[in-house]
Amino acid sequence: MENDVMQQETTDALETSALSGLDEIEKAESVLGVDRSLFEEPKFWSLQKKRFIKYRKVLWFIIPAALFTFIFSYIPMLGVLFAFKDSGHFKLFGRIGLWNVMADGYWTLENFGNIFNDKFFKAVGNTLLINIIKLVICFPLSIFIAVQLSELKSQTMAKVVLIVICIPNFLSWAVVIATWSGLLDGDGGALNNLLVTLKLNEPNHPLMQQQGLYKFFVIFLSAWKGSGWGCIMFYAGIIAIDKSFYESATLEGANRIHKMWYLTIPMIIPTIALMLVLNISGMLATGLEVVLPLFNMLTDIEESQLTLDVYLYDITIMQPDIPMAATLGVFNGLVGLTLMIVGNFITTKTLKRGLW
Amino acid sequence: MKNIKEIFKRNPNKIKESKLDTALVIINIVLLVLFMIVIALPLLNFFSLAFNNYNFNKNVIIFPKKISWYAFSVIFKGSEMGYFWTAFGNSVLLTLTVTIGSNLVEAMAAYPLSKRDCPIRGGIMMYFIITMLFSAGTAPIYMLMLQLNLTDNIWSCVLISISNVGNLLYFKVFFEGLPKDIEDSARLDGATEIQMFFRIVIPMSLPVIGSCCFFSMVGAWNGYGSALLFISPKATNAFPLAYYLYLLNERLSTTKSDDAILMGRMNIQAAAMLVSIIPIICCYPYVIRYIKGGLMIGSVKE
Repeated sequence: MENDVMQQETTDALETSALSGLDEIEKAESVLGVDRSLFEEPKFWSLQKKRFIKYRKVLWFIIPAALFTFIFSYIPMLGVLFAFKDSGHFKLFGRIGLWNVMADGYWTLENFGNIFNDKFFKAVGNTLLINIIKLVICFPLSIFIAVQLSELKSQTMAKVVLIVICIPNFLSWAVVIATWSGLLDGDGGALNNLLVTLKLNEPNHPLMQQQGLYKFFVIFLSAWKGSGWGCIMFYAGIIAIDKSFYESATLEGANRIHKMWYLTIPMIIPTIALMLVLNISGMLATGLEVVLPLFNMLTDIEESQLTLDVYLYDITIMQPDIPMAATLGVFNGLVGLTLMIVGNFITTKTLKRGLW
Repeated sequence: MKNIKEIFKRNPNKIKESKLDTALVIINIVLLVLFMIVIALPLLNFFSLAFNNYNFNKNVIIFPKKISWYAFSVIFKGSEMGYFWTAFGNSVLLTLTVTIGSNLVEAMAAYPLSKRDCPIRGGIMMYFIITMLFSAGTAPIYMLMLQLNLTDNIWSCVLISISNVGNLLYFKVFFEGLPKDIEDSARLDGATEIQMFFRIVIPMSLPVIGSCCFFSMVGAWNGYGSALLFISPKATNAFPLAYYLYLLNERLSTTKSDDAILMGRMNIQAAAMLVSIIPIICCYPYVIRYIKGGLMIGSVKE
């Protein structure tokens, strides 16, 4: 009881002294003529105005970028409205400009029912199959290469390997596909000759034009082109790890596999999570530049081999059905956004790291 | 050879490596060399075809068997697909404009946004970031180009690649990390804001600008995704080089007739590809150090 009373008294005394202190400050301010408004939080807009005046000479630097973004990213968003137009009208006229979106055709919701047809489901299935296999094979492959690179003791050799394996990433897809179609050419392709002598293939049977190997080549060429470059991020993460961790692990008697599995991999998990989210958000895209040339190369084109990119290209350029294409674009965009959020959610739950 | 010796050299002060570890070192080197071969051998084989006489294609492994300049002469002569050099010139124009334009525009925008007390900073950033999260898709962009009368024109590919929000974020993060004292002292010396940007901020951030320029350059030179949309195969004067190569591939690999050209079709393809990668190869060694500097900044965010 007594303690409480004591505390109460001391706090009261403190408060009164603080108040009197405040009074004294106010008195001093009034004597000195200090403007109190200087110490207050300024209002939002007056603050912005002050800042605007401060930066008036550099603020116009933003305008060109904002203008380009507006014209080539925001204006096309008007085209989303095409998804709510009937497709019959636009089929007749084919190639039309963006302004006609309001004027022509009538409003309808039937596109959202019509896009879920057989062709679409086949395309989505193929795309998902390709991308999931890519995620399961190419992604760990890059991590594996990065770990192997960091295990090298000689820095010069690591550099040479890095320079060589990054080359294909800087080649055009046209060059990559020409290279492999040249190697696997029916008459005279070096790899094809090797396969023929090993009795794995017949002459004049170019593998890249075969129906069944289409998806394999999409995955294989992506791995060939991208995995060397893909390891760069992981490698940068690994060489940033403190070397003393490895030394103490060696003293504890860890061998190379232990160090790799219990030290290197856990240390680069933030990078892995980041790349995983980015990969997952691109799940519905296979890249038109790789899919289309391989698709055109097939001897007899079948719709069962369509991917979503080729399908979208087909209904935008080849046989224009603009409302359908716009609907598919909206669908793609929304699914990409959702996958990004879901992927981020999963990685934050399991790996404790994410994009944001 | 020296490297392998170094690896096996015993250091008496060191903890002795177990047999498993030695085996792993060997496996490690073998795997990496194997991977290098898988990457390099196809390229060497294919590009040596460019110099080879087409009757001896079967004998080529790494080096050309019999030197012949036939493929190059076919390429430079031109065909119904238009001239190789037209496409090459178009691509040079495209690459230069995109590299300089895009990076300049984005760096300029990033400079005021990198100031902590820039007016309505959050709002402006939001305006840019929304375009990264959601895009309208290919059809509306194609129709915008139709409306602007830019289809079958190389400028459609230029304009669509100028806006690059990823680079904007990259520059912004880098500018925020620059030391404030230098800017303050420059301001005391009477530098205007524009002088400050071009004379101080840009020279100080050359590593990151260099790497971004390299990636823009590679993207513009190699990409044909936008050309596929905006340029029809009939507009031969507007082809960028990568699109020309794509069409060349398609034409040569799908035609069945026994033209004289088709006899050496692989050689012709190889020659065209070889000429097309010369600019990239020239830049590659110079830019590797820039890439390292830039990437380290990108990967260690604090």
